[in-house]
Amino acid sequence: MTGRVASIALNTFREAIRDKVFLTLLVFAILVMGSARVIQPLALGEESKVIQDLGLSAITLFCVLIAVLIGGRLVYKEVEKRTIYIMLARPVRRWEFILGKYAGLMAVLAASLVVMTVGFYLVMFITGTPASAYLLWSLLMTFFELAILTATAILFSTFVTPIASSVFTFAVYFVGHLTRDLRLLAAMSPSPVVKVVSQVLYYVLPNLSNFNIRGEVVHDVVLNPEALALAIGYALLYTATLLLISTLIFSRKDF
Amino acid sequence: MAVVTDPVISTVKLSKVYRSGIGMRLVSALVDVTFDVGRGEIFGFLGPNGAGKTSLIKILIGLARPTAGNALVFGRQARDAQVKARVGFLPESPYFYEYLTATEFLRLSAGLAGVPGSEVAGRVNSLLKLVRMEASAGVQMRGFSRGMLQRIGIAQALVGDPELVILDEPMGGLDPVGRKEFRDIIVGLRDQGKTVFFSTHILADVEMICDRVGIIINGRMVNIGGLGDILSDDVQAYEVTVTGLTGKFRKVLERVGDSAIRSGDALLVTVPDDAGVDRVMAIVREAGARVQAIVPRKRTLEDHFMAHVGGKRGA
Repeated sequence: MTGRVASIALNTFREAIRDKVFLTLLVFAILVMGSARVIQPLALGEESKVIQDLGLSAITLFCVLIAVLIGGRLVYKEVEKRTIYIMLARPVRRWEFILGKYAGLMAVLAASLVVMTVGFYLVMFITGTPASAYLLWSLLMTFFELAILTATAILFSTFVTPIASSVFTFAVYFVGHLTRDLRLLAAMSPSPVVKVVSQVLYYVLPNLSNFNIRGEVVHDVVLNPEALALAIGYALLYTATLLLISTLIFSRKDF
Repeated sequence: MAVVTDPVISTVKLSKVYRSGIGMRLVSALVDVTFDVGRGEIFGFLGPNGAGKTSLIKILIGLARPTAGNALVFGRQARDAQVKARVGFLPESPYFYEYLTATEFLRLSAGLAGVPGSEVAGRVNSLLKLVRMEASAGVQMRGFSRGMLQRIGIAQALVGDPELVILDEPMGGLDPVGRKEFRDIIVGLRDQGKTVFFSTHILADVEMICDRVGIIINGRMVNIGGLGDILSDDVQAYEVTVTGLTGKFRKVLERVGDSAIRSGDALLVTVPDDAGVDRVMAIVREAGARVQAIVPRKRTLEDHFMAHVGGKRGA
C-alpha cells in the first residue's frame, strides 16, 4: 500500500515541479520578497516589521496559489488526459490514488515553503532585518492551513473542471478567513434565511483565521500553545474528512 | 461455441448502458455479451469503431461497472485488486505523463504494479530493449511520436509480468515494421504461457496471430470461435493466371470468367467453380497458351466481417 501511495505522490511531485505554473509562482514569490528592499525607505521606523510581515504574507499567498491552481486540476487532469486508465488498471485502490495525489502536492508545498523561507531569511539578512526563528511558527501554521486548502481543492477536483475547482477553493479560502464574521452575521441579521445560511456556512466551512498568527509573531506577542495545538488537530481532522469525501465520490465513478 | 476449460476471462450476459448527450439519452454499449477466453490463448476482439470494444475492456480491467451481468477474470470480480495485479493493460491511443522520461514512467508503473524494488531496474531495462526504446529511455515523453508512445505502452503493460495482457488497439499508430515487431511480441507472450486479449479493427493482425476471434457489432458478440470455424474451408472462387494468349483467345477467356485482369502478357481470370476452371483449361489448350497458376480463393475474415457489418450496421 505505502509503495503505491508513495509512487503516486512522487509522480505528482514531479509533475508539479516540472510545471511552468509552479516555477513562475516560485520565481515571483522570491521577487516580491526581494522588493522589500525597495519599500524599505518608505516604512518610517517600522522597517523590520514591514519586511517581516510582507515576507510572511508573500509566502502564504504564493503557497495558497500553488495549492489552489495545481490542486484544482490534480484529479481532473488525469481523467481528461486518460492517464487515469493506466493508474486504475493497476492494483491501485481509489483511496490510495487520492491519498497519493494529496501527499504529492503537500510535498510540493512543503518544498516551496522551505525554498521561500530560505529566500525570506536571505532578504532579512541582506536588509539587516532581525531574523528571529520565532517567525517560523507562522509558517508552520500556514502549512496546516495549506493542508486543509489542498484537500478542498482535491475534493472539488474529483467532480468539477479545474477552473471551477480553483474558483471554489479560492472562495473557501476567503470565506474561511471570515467565519467569525459569519457567526456575527447569524446573530445580528433579522432575516431568518440569512441566519440559517450563515450558521450553516459557519459550521461547514473551515475556520482558517485560526492559522493566521502573522501579527503575533511579527510583534513578538506570546503565542498560546494550546490554541496552536487545537488548530493543528482541527486541520488534521478537517483534512481527513475532506479526503474521505473525495474518496467516496471518486470510488463511485466509472471511467 | 467451443467450450473453454480453465477460462482466464469469463463474462455472462454482460450489459452496459450509459447516458449520453443532451437529454441524457440511454445508449446500450454492450448487450448480453457472453464469452470465455482460455489460458494461453491469443484472443482477437474484432469490431468496427463504436461497436463496444473499449466499453467491454473497461469492465474487464475494473474501470467501469457492468449495468447487468457478470465479468470474471481469474474467477474473481474484475475490480478486485488481486486480479489487477495479474493483468497488464494498454489503453487505446495511450497518453502518458509527458513530463516523465520513458525510464521514470516505467519505474512508476513498476511501483504501482508491486514489482519488488530490487527487480525494478532490471525489469525496466529489459522491457526498453524488448520494445527497442533504449535510445530514448532518458527523454521526456512529450516529444514522442504515436508509435513511440505505443511501444512504451506495451512495455508498461508488461512491467508487472502479468499472466493476462489486455491491449486496446495495440497496432494503432504503428508502421508496417512496427506492426511486425508487435505481432512478434504478442506471439512471444503466448509462448511464455501468457494469455493475450486484444481488440482491433485491423483484420490482417487477427488473421495472422489469433487462436480465436470474437466479433462485436453494435454491442453484441455476433460470432466467436477459432478462425478455422469462422472461415469455412469452402472455396469461394478460383483465380487462373494464363500466359501466351493471342488476341482472339484473350477476348474469349475474358468473357468466360466473372472478372479478368490483364497484366502485361498475363491474364488473371476469376471463375466461380470447378466447371469454370475446366472451361478455361479447354480454351487454353485450344489456344496453345500456358496456365501459370490456379489459386483457390477461400472466404477471408474480411469477407466474413463485411457480411456481418454490412447486415448489422444501422440496424
